[in-house]
Amino acid sequence: MDVFNAMVFIEIAPEISGKGEGLAVETNLVSCIGLAGDLKGLVAIHCPAAVALDITGAMLGMDVEELGEDCKDAIGEIANMVAGGLKTALVSSARNVELAIPVTVIGSSFRMSGLVGANRVFVPFATPSGRFGVELKYVVA
Amino acid sequence: MAKNVLLVDDSSTMRKIISRSLRQAGLDFGEIYEAGDGQEALAVLEKETIDIVLSDINMPNMNGIEFLREKGNRPGIKDIPVFMISTETGEDIIGEAKSLGAVGALKKPFTPDKVNEVLGPLM
Repeated sequence: MDVFNAMVFIEIAPEISGKGEGLAVETNLVSCIGLAGDLKGLVAIHCPAAVALDITGAMLGMDVEELGEDCKDAIGEIANMVAGGLKTALVSSARNVELAIPVTVIGSSFRMSGLVGANRVFVPFATPSGRFGVELKYVVA
Repeated sequence: MAKNVLLVDDSSTMRKIISRSLRQAGLDFGEIYEAGDGQEALAVLEKETIDIVLSDINMPNMNGIEFLREKGNRPGIKDIPVFMISTETGEDIIGEAKSLGAVGALKKPFTPDKVNEVLGPLM
């Protein structure tokens, strides 16, 4: 929420979050940040095309019509800030987490897999142009 | 006199946001130069007249800490102040940055008001 209030200027509202593999949103762009250290896993932002275009346009202050490099960069930066917030929060519980560089994929009909047995938390958010999701998959080292 | 600023961040979106925030904050600056990593930043510093650098930490090729270390070894540019703007603002990494010459740090996400508050005294 802090990220959107300070830098995106789109109203978002969290919906009911959940654990496990069932929760998802329609995704055309996913940006992931790997986590290492005391918490291993990833933070991922899942966006349908319309939401990715809106968020990118809001961050850049211009209309964005193509789901391309600008969107990958903007959503990657959101993933970076969300993961950075997680890292800061974990410092207070004496857990050290290292962040990787964002990796972003654009496409359709794809799914992410990996980290078998990891804990998963998925939080959908409503925006004026649709829903996007923030995912945390982790194992405690 | 307006100061020339070098923005160092691998995200072009973030460079645009920082640039816009500087303008919205009403700070007095001259030219804004951009670099995508520490290596590019060193090249700009060697070529242009830069008064202050605003640098990310997590970047490919040469990150912000490596950039500070290398810059400190170059006599012609080592005294140009560097301010860190990053999601990484833990005491350990900011302490390391400051030990290498960084003059301060701002955490992402930030608002134009926050930019004005922390960068205003440097401008």
